[in-house]
Amino acid sequence: MTSLLPITLTHLQAFLLFAAVISIAFGFLGRRQPRDRIKYILWSFFLFLLVGIGIGWAMYPFSH
Amino acid sequence: MNPDPIGIPLSEQPALPESALPPEHRQHGTSEAKAWSVALAGWLLPGLGHALQRMWGRALVVFCAVGVLVVVGASMRGNLFTSHGSDAFDALGYVADLGAGSFYFLARAVERTGADVSHAGGDYGTRFLATAGVLNLLAALHAYEAARGRKA
Repeated sequence: MTSLLPITLTHLQAFLLFAAVISIAFGFLGRRQPRDRIKYILWSFFLFLLVGIGIGWAMYPFSH
Repeated sequence: MNPDPIGIPLSEQPALPESALPPEHRQHGTSEAKAWSVALAGWLLPGLGHALQRMWGRALVVFCAVGVLVVVGASMRGNLFTSHGSDAFDALGYVADLGAGSFYFLARAVERTGADVSHAGGDYGTRFLATAGVLNLLAALHAYEAARGRKA
């Protein structure tokens, strides 16, 4: 079996990919109707971004 | 306590033989076994638990989500924990990784160069792999609940 091609992602790219994949999975598992799913996915994605960037800024003073 | 329509509290009624029970109650054991089978199938192959219940959209999304996380995590040379861990965190990581079912073994097979967590990418990959396992466990639990007839 062949090995996978190496992937190099920046922190932000990995963060966005993670948030998008998990939000979509949560949306489909947590809601039934397509409209509800889209709303849930967008809301979940937004919260991932908000919390992730918020924690990033909260840690900023400790990096100096 | 809620009395039944004939006015006797349920706790004071004599137990009925199995043959006298309504069919849905007689099949309780069977449906429970089916629910566990669905959960096991969902763990072994991400999305299969939902596919067996004809929840095609959910099955596809679970399969793709777990697959993407495993492929990206392994491509970033994340750490796939084994059962030979040295501490509790390794054991927890192994449980999380193993949650991906067959994809865990697939990732072990394709990650031939081994993990490299000396750079940030490898560390992100480790998180992707653990998340894939935990997400698949969540999906298997969801499929189990759906098979039991709970709202899902």
